[in-house]
Amino acid sequence: MKALLSKEFKLCVHPALFIYLALILMLLIPNYPYLVSCFFVCNGIFFCFQQARENGDAMYTAMLPVSKAQTVKARVWFVVIIEMIDIVLMAGMCAFALVAMPETNGGGTDHSLSLIAFALVLYAIFNLIFLPSFYKTGYKAGSAFLKSAVGIWLWLIPCEGLMIASHAIADSNLDIAFFRFLHENVDCMPKTAEALTVQAILFGAGLLLYVVCTLLATKISVKRYEKVSVA
Amino acid sequence: MKILEIKDLRKAYPGFLLDGVGFDVEEGSIMGFIGRNGAGKTTTIKSVLNLVHADGGTVLFEGQDLWANETVCKKRIGLVLGEFNYYKRKKLKAIAAVTKQFYEEWDEETYQTLLSRFSLDPEKKINELSQGMRVKFALALALSHRAKLLILDEPTSGLDPVSRDELLDIFRDIIEDGEHSILFSTHIISDLEKCADYITYIKGGRIVVSTDADSFKDAYRLVSGETEDLGQFRPLLIGYRAHAFGFTGLMRREDAEHAEGLKVAPADMESIMIYTEKEDGHESAAQ
Repeated sequence: MKALLSKEFKLCVHPALFIYLALILMLLIPNYPYLVSCFFVCNGIFFCFQQARENGDAMYTAMLPVSKAQTVKARVWFVVIIEMIDIVLMAGMCAFALVAMPETNGGGTDHSLSLIAFALVLYAIFNLIFLPSFYKTGYKAGSAFLKSAVGIWLWLIPCEGLMIASHAIADSNLDIAFFRFLHENVDCMPKTAEALTVQAILFGAGLLLYVVCTLLATKISVKRYEKVSVA
Repeated sequence: MKILEIKDLRKAYPGFLLDGVGFDVEEGSIMGFIGRNGAGKTTTIKSVLNLVHADGGTVLFEGQDLWANETVCKKRIGLVLGEFNYYKRKKLKAIAAVTKQFYEEWDEETYQTLLSRFSLDPEKKINELSQGMRVKFALALALSHRAKLLILDEPTSGLDPVSRDELLDIFRDIIEDGEHSILFSTHIISDLEKCADYITYIKGGRIVVSTDADSFKDAYRLVSGETEDLGQFRPLLIGYRAHAFGFTGLMRREDAEHAEGLKVAPADMESIMIYTEKEDGHESAAQ
């Protein structure tokens, strides 16, 4: 597994991935839907899959002393590591924003544990759709990414939309309990004990969903790739 | 001792069936795997290595189930599936650095010797190599991890005659110790004439024959005769080519021995394959 992972990072990384990871700096933009930065990372991962495919990686790897299951698992670890790098960078940016950007985010989820939880759910959706879809053929990365993009935006738009709504409603004279709860506990920097608790629960749930979906995606991908002929 | 045993290998594709393929590779020998394009050579090799998921069959490597012990077995197998066509923008040294991580038995000295022998510059990128040099690079990788069995699919295609001859010398050196073996698929039959100990001939997804090279050649005779003799001997001919002065064809040795009036000569592997492939149509288009 160590050798396979090393191969992934030495041969399969597309230079665009670094640019997409650097887009975490978008978290410095005032009033912006920060979850979008995660979509760009998914795009970078897709570029890596394409790069590997165009370079005949499936055949090269099949000739090495590894099984198809190990090949898939190593690639999943590769994806997980990239996503976790982004999550760590996101956590760093959120910590930075706590000090440097005290204004609330009117364009989406605030710099918070909620944002990281939502990002984990986004990656869970991406992994669950993209990986099994790709490993059905072992080469159709484009259609797999398209399907996963639909899933990502079906999560991202309502999620950020709800946060924008909670912010706007709080700024208006309307007092709707649900939106007030969101604004005071979810879509805010976790500065109160209650908000911290709510966001910690959201983070835990997001992490759990991420782990479950990624494990499920791995299981399905391995099963599907076993039937694929490497030509 | 058999290093590789393939039994009843089956794989169905729309329009093609690998039908119960079975043969053995003896330790310390070179097995030539011949057949025309599309006969099933590559499908057989890929099925053996689990690159293609076979519908059925058994593959034993050194007595153990290769598919169930894929990782362990593949470490002892060197593979060359044509030229090295992967990560073409990477340097040879980068590919080698990644590849050797997978083999505890990697022999850097052998690898460096092979690079020198094949005049390969590790600083060059794959896309800067000619087709033949890419085959040599694939061979250098396959020969550098002390594999017991080398499986080579069309390794000499694209090589010039001098390089091919050089390669055949290397193959003979490899099996000299009696512990290494080579399964060598090709349609360049003259290469096998020079080095194969055994021949397995596949046609339309089925094994026609798998035997030692001498028996393979000795089982057939090339015959030639006048046009008026053709009618009499046609049922005994496996395949033939008619021309203005008569015909030339292939017969089984026992039939040729009783074919009075025909000129009989030993058959070479290429002729055996060509005339056997004409079996269905019987007569060549050349007439």
